[in-house]
Amino acid sequence: MTLFGTIGFTAPWLLLGLLALPILWIILRAVPPAPIRRLFPGVVLLLGLKDDEQVSDRTPWWLLLLRMLAVAAVIIGLSGPVLNPENDSEAAGDGPLLVVMDASWASAPDWRARMVALDGLLSRAARDSRPVALLRLTNPEPVQFLSADVVQTRITGLVPEPWAPGEDTVARAIGMLPEGGFDSYWMSDALTREDRAPLLAALEDKGAVTVFESPRSLYALEPARFEEGNLHLTLRRLRPGPEAEVTLTGHGLDPAGNAAVLLRSGVTFEADALAAETELSLPAELRARITRFEIEGNRSAGAVTLPDDSLRRREVALIAGREDREGLELLSPLHYLQKALVPTADLLDGALLDILPANPDVIVLADVATLSAGEEDAVTEWLEKGGLLLRFAGPRMAASDISRDAEDPLMPVRLRAGGRSVGGAMSWGEPKALAPFTEDSPFFGLELRDDVTVNSQVMAQPDPNLAERVIAQLTDGTPLVTRKAVGQGQIVLFHVTANADWSSLPLSGLFVLMLERLAVSSSTSAPEAEDLEGTIWQPVTVLDAFGVPQDAGTLPGVAGEDLVSAALGPDLRPGLYQGEDRSLARNVVTAETELAPMVWPDRVPVEGLNRPRETPLSGWLLGGAIALLLADVIASLALSGRLRGARPSAAALVLAALALTPLDAQAQDATPDQAADDVALAATADVVLAHVLTRDAQIDDIAAAGLKGLSQTLFFRTSVEPADPMGVDLETDELVFYPLLYWPVTPGQPTPSAAAYAKLNTYLRSGGMIVFDTRDADVAGFGGNTPEGRKLQELARPLDIPPLEPVPQDHVLTRTFYLLQDFPGRHAGRDVWVEAAPPDAELIEGMPFRNLNDNVTPVVIGGNDWAAAWAMDARGNALLPIGRGFTGERQREIAYRFGVNLVMHVLTGNYKSDQVHVPALLDRLGQ
Amino acid sequence: MTPDVTQLRSEAQREASRFPALLARAEQLAGTVLLGEHGRRRAGLGDDFWQYRPLRAGDSYRQIDWRRSGRGDEQFVREREWQVAQSVQLWVDPGASMRFSSHKDLPTKAERARLVALAAAILLIRGGERVGLTGWKLPPRRGDVQSLRLAELLSDEGDADYAEPEARGMIPNARALFVSDFLGDIDAVEAALTKAADRGVRGVLCQVLDPAEESFPYHGRTIFESVGQTMAHETLKANELRARYLERLAERKARLEALCRLTGWHYQCHHTDQSAQSALLWIYRALDGEHG
Repeated sequence: MTLFGTIGFTAPWLLLGLLALPILWIILRAVPPAPIRRLFPGVVLLLGLKDDEQVSDRTPWWLLLLRMLAVAAVIIGLSGPVLNPENDSEAAGDGPLLVVMDASWASAPDWRARMVALDGLLSRAARDSRPVALLRLTNPEPVQFLSADVVQTRITGLVPEPWAPGEDTVARAIGMLPEGGFDSYWMSDALTREDRAPLLAALEDKGAVTVFESPRSLYALEPARFEEGNLHLTLRRLRPGPEAEVTLTGHGLDPAGNAAVLLRSGVTFEADALAAETELSLPAELRARITRFEIEGNRSAGAVTLPDDSLRRREVALIAGREDREGLELLSPLHYLQKALVPTADLLDGALLDILPANPDVIVLADVATLSAGEEDAVTEWLEKGGLLLRFAGPRMAASDISRDAEDPLMPVRLRAGGRSVGGAMSWGEPKALAPFTEDSPFFGLELRDDVTVNSQVMAQPDPNLAERVIAQLTDGTPLVTRKAVGQGQIVLFHVTANADWSSLPLSGLFVLMLERLAVSSSTSAPEAEDLEGTIWQPVTVLDAFGVPQDAGTLPGVAGEDLVSAALGPDLRPGLYQGEDRSLARNVVTAETELAPMVWPDRVPVEGLNRPRETPLSGWLLGGAIALLLADVIASLALSGRLRGARPSAAALVLAALALTPLDAQAQDATPDQAADDVALAATADVVLAHVLTRDAQIDDIAAAGLKGLSQTLFFRTSVEPADPMGVDLETDELVFYPLLYWPVTPGQPTPSAAAYAKLNTYLRSGGMIVFDTRDADVAGFGGNTPEGRKLQELARPLDIPPLEPVPQDHVLTRTFYLLQDFPGRHAGRDVWVEAAPPDAELIEGMPFRNLNDNVTPVVIGGNDWAAAWAMDARGNALLPIGRGFTGERQREIAYRFGVNLVMHVLTGNYKSDQVHVPALLDRLGQ
Repeated sequence: MTPDVTQLRSEAQREASRFPALLARAEQLAGTVLLGEHGRRRAGLGDDFWQYRPLRAGDSYRQIDWRRSGRGDEQFVREREWQVAQSVQLWVDPGASMRFSSHKDLPTKAERARLVALAAAILLIRGGERVGLTGWKLPPRRGDVQSLRLAELLSDEGDADYAEPEARGMIPNARALFVSDFLGDIDAVEAALTKAADRGVRGVLCQVLDPAEESFPYHGRTIFESVGQTMAHETLKANELRARYLERLAERKARLEALCRLTGWHYQCHHTDQSAQSALLWIYRALDGEHG
């Protein structure tokens, strides 16, 4: 490859072709543009005209230049120019190449870019026939050198792991390094780690090492903390940089149970700051639903944190029997409970039956002896579903008979009457201390304090099952805390008061710990390894390196101490682990995780992703050549007049087409509404006659052809110039646009729905006209018992039709345009019915007609099959034969005249009924 | 039935189907003119009466209307302009040069010429005139059927590039309407007009031109061909020819106009991008004016 600056050529000798350009220039210059042939009748006038100058046929210089540039671009493009060609000599080497990859969670955000870089590296290695091996430090496997293109086929399956390489894995990797020299290419995740130095040394022993690092900053998210009622989240980044804004999202299930983003909040890194903190104040309901926080757009396990129970706050309802001692707060039975629970739980306050629908996790009854039957049922039901009822004794309970003879369903044990007090002024003995907790007690492991003493308590009745229900007792063996399971829930009774009256327990730290153990409150501090010793935790959800939560499936359980203290690895994946009564999250990044950019020794060359990439320019140049040639085509056309002249607007047309394209696109996705609008526009732009679709194709075609013929006739004979007729579907189409509705009656057509009839009646009342045509005048007089007649009666029954009469001799229909007395169609029946004249209409002496109704008749009913007579084909020839010979044609003519009169009547109303026209009409009538 | 016959028949059918359309268009066009001229036209129709005018020197006694003159002392002549129906003879250029349109939205000159001529014919027929073609093909007759025959014959197309006006068969003192682009041999036009003038035939010369012929919007190296492709002219720079072409066209028009003045004809130039109605109106007025 030959290099010119940053551009190299794979076939530089082709560039010699550029020398041919000047010759081409001369040749092209000599050839004039080809002439166009045009038809032009005025050519006679041109004959003999000579051109003024003969030189104009030369191709203009700019067109030549255009062509030269195109040819030059082709030549240069074919010679294979490459921008920023990889300099093979540098990264060179002939020996085997080991690609070492950190493949940790920190590599995940730009994993794709890394794979592209690796692919390029492998391509080059393949070109140089170097054997290649891959070594992932997070999961080292024995190194095996293979042909580069074989390795290349495997890299699609390479994924990072959601942990970082630890000392042991690196040591294992060092042990796996093959014998013999090789070069190394280390794709680092840019985090500094203790274990890098030994590996680097080991690799440098074998050969040259090149490091590849992404220049992008890495974002990480620390686990959420809960402080003072708010969530605190700390975001960190690897490299200080300018002010940057990232988006923090909280994912979880929405109330409908679908995965959703419940929370989205922008967090700003100050300039040069490495960490940013945000505080979120969320309602408890929302907080409880969030299953993970993540930094949006960062596909890395480090940018995801899973909250565990530490964020979960239990809802505790506190109910005391005695609320009358106002002001004596320290004596309130709930005071110490509130103090103990407020930091870690959400407290509910209110009447028991009001609280139960909120489904609290815990209900605390402090010195409440009896509950009403309804309350008891409700509480029992709630207990069955997993509630925890925590009861405290007190004077009321001691004084009541609850659970005395038989065990109360809401008490774990039977109580003896009265209770006892020890160590008081009026009693013997010392106040009693707590006995150590037994192994099966939930309190096992809590440290006892000497200062916890009990003065008074209620006593449990010795029963066969008492022993198994005691979970804490005093040194003398009397039960202090008893427990009973009810359904999925449990009832716990402290045999002392919840305040300091009977014991000092509520004053001690032990009380808080005991509540915590009972899961009344949840702990805010991370558990210590010792606390979890011997427990096994089952993974529920694990994260992959990209921070995508996945079902843990059959992954084995993890020992408690490992869960807390061991480093993440194949055996301990980051994720959410479920223990006996709580869940713990193990996140990739914690507050202790060290995030610092790796500083490599100077001797190691470091490459970045931002290295200018090798860009072949051939495609661009050849593409440019094509563009130039296209421009040449247009310019040549323009020059030879083909773009102008006969079609001066060709360019404008192209521009218009471009400009109209979006409009067309809009038109294409026309909504039904728009389609309806189009129909409405078409129907209203001109007068449009309409016919009712009968679902009988032949009848409908004839009706359409008939109205078309009538429209043509109107167009040529009158000033009414209708557009093409339309068929309307009574059920779906709007009717108000059409002045006249032609309705051929067929026995088989469906009866319109009630909604359609409502539309039809509105149409009739607002001045529309329906022409019913039974088409049976050849076989029946009107009213005859034909199927069409019966159908017409059926169809018209729900219509709002006034009284009818056969068209009287002086009806305005007989003179709106033509003077008519017959209304034939294909048949020449006489009976055509219209709205009856008002009964008081009288014929005035000397007048040819009465002063009749002011309205247009809403219906015209006949059977003469007018559409058949009117029907015309596209050329304007009659479609159907009418009658015979000239009389038939005459009948057709009268039918057209009737149609014209009909439309004129609809459009002009009673205009011709006006007496003003009498003289003219008399004249025309020849009287 | 041989394929030839089938083809002939289908072609004939296709050709025939164009007459109703042309006829309908022409009738509608005629209708638009009729509206404006309605009353006058009808009143002058027919038979007898136009006006009385006093007897002038040179009138023969036979012309005196005795009934009118008997009422007074003066003698009146009853003018009988309309008593004899006029014959109007049409000639529409069938030449190939007429079948040219510079834009797909424009009608060809031939279409426009036929439309205008037929519409004028329908008007005249309705006005009671006899209309026919020059030459021997269709002598002037009355009646609606005549317009059908006219439509049929006007649709004939000739092969020659430029047709010469048909001046044979002219009825003396008839009227004539020549519609053409008059780009062909002007001497033939002159001969025809002179011949017509000799027979006392006056009329109207309607030149139909395409807008492109009027503006010559061509550029670059071009070979111009006549529609029949019998003539060609090559130029290297069409735009350079424009001024000289327009000069020649103007000269041609001026010549036609002078010719018309000389022979008592009317001359009008109509472009296919103008409305046909304006041409029809003008033709109608021009013919009408002659009756007056």
